[in-house]
Amino acid sequence: MIEQYQYTTTQKYNFPHTVQDFQLPQHFIQLSLRTLRNIKNSRLFQPNITKQLANPTAQTLEETTHLFTGPSQPKLKPIPLKPIRDETPVIAVDVSNMKIGETDIGILCAIRAAIVWKQKHQYRYLRLGPFPFHITEENKSEVYHLFRQYSFLEQPTLDYTSTLSLIYAPTRLGALLERWLQMSIAAQTSNSLILWDGSLTAGTQDAPVTVMSQLLETVRNRSNTVLAFTKITRLRLLGYRLTDYISRCTPPCLLEINGYPMALSNAIRLLGNIYVAKLSEGNCSFRLDIDRKLPEEKAVEAAQRLIGNELLMQSYPETLRLAHIYSTFTANEVIGIQRFLAQTHQLKIVTRPNVRRLLFGPFGKGPES
Amino acid sequence: MRLYRKEGNTIQILCFPNESVEKGDYLQVEDPRQNRALLIQVIDVQFASIPGILEELLRDSTNNGDVINGENLDPLNVASQITLIQDARLIICKIRGTIQNGKLSVSSAWLPSRSQSTIKKLSTKTLTTVLKINDKLPIYVGETKEFSPLKVDATALDGKLNIVTGKKETGKSHFSKLLVLSLIDHGAPVVVLDLNGEYAHLGYTSDCKKNQHYMKIHVLTPSSNFKVMLSQIKLRVMFNILVHALNLPGTSAREFRRIWRFLKEHAKLSLHELGEAIRNWQCNHHVKDALFSRYYTLVNSGFFTDNPSEAITLEDYFQKIRTGGALVVNLRDTSFVDRQIVVEYLLGKLVEMLTGWKLKAVFLVAEEAHLYLRETYWNDIVTRMRHFGVFTTFVTNQPDTIRENIYRQADNIFLFNFTNAHDLETVSRAAKVDSETVKSIARDLPPHHCLLLGRVVKDFPIVVKVRALDVQTMGQTRLFFN
Repeated sequence: MIEQYQYTTTQKYNFPHTVQDFQLPQHFIQLSLRTLRNIKNSRLFQPNITKQLANPTAQTLEETTHLFTGPSQPKLKPIPLKPIRDETPVIAVDVSNMKIGETDIGILCAIRAAIVWKQKHQYRYLRLGPFPFHITEENKSEVYHLFRQYSFLEQPTLDYTSTLSLIYAPTRLGALLERWLQMSIAAQTSNSLILWDGSLTAGTQDAPVTVMSQLLETVRNRSNTVLAFTKITRLRLLGYRLTDYISRCTPPCLLEINGYPMALSNAIRLLGNIYVAKLSEGNCSFRLDIDRKLPEEKAVEAAQRLIGNELLMQSYPETLRLAHIYSTFTANEVIGIQRFLAQTHQLKIVTRPNVRRLLFGPFGKGPES
Repeated sequence: MRLYRKEGNTIQILCFPNESVEKGDYLQVEDPRQNRALLIQVIDVQFASIPGILEELLRDSTNNGDVINGENLDPLNVASQITLIQDARLIICKIRGTIQNGKLSVSSAWLPSRSQSTIKKLSTKTLTTVLKINDKLPIYVGETKEFSPLKVDATALDGKLNIVTGKKETGKSHFSKLLVLSLIDHGAPVVVLDLNGEYAHLGYTSDCKKNQHYMKIHVLTPSSNFKVMLSQIKLRVMFNILVHALNLPGTSAREFRRIWRFLKEHAKLSLHELGEAIRNWQCNHHVKDALFSRYYTLVNSGFFTDNPSEAITLEDYFQKIRTGGALVVNLRDTSFVDRQIVVEYLLGKLVEMLTGWKLKAVFLVAEEAHLYLRETYWNDIVTRMRHFGVFTTFVTNQPDTIRENIYRQADNIFLFNFTNAHDLETVSRAAKVDSETVKSIARDLPPHHCLLLGRVVKDFPIVVKVRALDVQTMGQTRLFFN
């Protein structure tokens, strides 16, 4: 099952290309297989077709990040952008997770990642997975051991096993894979633009400050630049949504926000400068985080390189859009994974009765817990 | 395969691509709890409606061309199951009957269990055994999809109205020849109205040698070896020729009747005397002109003669084929009007012999009958003449030339490929099968494959690849670049 993977060779990139770099995916695959082995103790399988699991941690974080309500109001500074066309490679990574179903002892989920890169006007992709997992209370510790081992922490500060419930396991596994891929890309590329889906906010279980700092340092050392795009932000300034302030600016432009605190609490840190980006014509604008330790002119230059070398639709980079498309699970794929699990592990598929339906009949429309 | 849903007499089955099912196949839905099985036939194979398939196809379509290339790292090979789901099929089937205790009935008033039923393919050989369709006088029609020979019972054609139809070059004429030769083998008399001279060489093998049917095939070519004298013709037959084939008006027809009777009374019923009688007959000159024009048409047809040595006696030929043989009337080089004259004569004579019990019954094969059969004859053939013992098989590539009521009364339909929706719509009016079956299966029939409908298959439609014949078929189109 464990094998040496073959990748599409490009002139400059080959993701990832050293044996050391494979450690996590191999462990990831091994872990996937190990967790699936304990399905033999289970014969019940409640298939599940749900929408993509939202990242509760990140969502909660953004919900509470009303950072611009302090005594000193942040200032807005529009920055017009001029495209720099120098064929800088653009790389994006995205990871999706999906709950596949439940067994009587745990949950079944699947993780898939996609890396898309654009070089010399050509897009290429590498899709990893899907990796199915069967996470139970028994193997939870083993799963989180991997977190500890590969969380890039010398001394883990959190006891994952006690704090995390099974419900968030898919998200956590997805975040782990995403961090690894981000690190892998950062370490193996140079002079590139690396696009992340999300913000540069650190201090959560999935994005510890030290890990994120180390990650950004690696990026800087390899002369790369991370541009983190947040699709939907709830950040508000003077009661208005942050992204609304850029509507009067002529694209392509950035709206720099100055004068806000670097830490939202003892734990939550903002490792990036926050911009509102409107990179092309259209109605959309996004929150864009760029490494705080990068000089401002370098940050702006990175944004100019992006608009000069990347296709932008509604201000959103195509590589990131493709990474999302390639990683996301369709309903058919969920059925396929369910069938794979049922076939390879002789799971008997049963559908548990919907209690709401049983109790309330046609009025029982709420989600089944 | 899993039973998915049932609506009316339509059943939908879900299956995966590794379960090979094609249009026309029979499936058996066995319900072990009810101890019986539903017999269903596949009429269409579709892709199952899978949620998210559009997104997947759109995503994968970006792989085409030079836009984006990439690789998938799927160490557990989960994708194989995903592609399997993508290719999942929905099989649309029609209920044909129920098998209980090895006996088949057309009942379909019960519903098998969706969760408990097992579905398996039923080979055509097993089906024909259950149906007992080749019991008495087998006609070897061809091979089924499983390469087992398919035989139908010749008695299922006896006393029946049959239609062989399909678009050009699909093998209708070949099949008709097979039917003709098989009927001959079983001792049946067959009359073929051969429009293109295709049946004339049925007595020869493909390498021009005489075959076992040689002595049983009698070819009559009008105005050549098929001529008759007026004295052999009944007034009623001649009257039909004049009125229906030559459109003689009523007044003139009455005068002709008088002339005919006069000539008959004086034993002067000949072509020459008829012309003289019209010339000397005291009547309106318009009537005389009308009679003369028809007279000259009769003369010019070459079908009538005053020379007894040239004339044939049709009764003799019918006598020859009485215990098995074919009388092929070659209409190939005959004009439209002359064809009608010949056919009017032939059918009139046939009825005359059948009513007089000189002939027990005859199988009539009529190719493209609309080209020589008058309108009123259609109903006559399928209703009245059938009772006299004329069992017709219409062969056509233009199904709309056959009236709807004939399709409704057809006992057997041998259907070849049609792609034209209008043609399929016409054929689907046949009462022997539901229109969906006809439209769906006939559209995808390969050449030389025939969908058998009706009595011959006991109303269980079966697709067969028509067997080859070692005869000179002469049905091939003449080509310039060959």
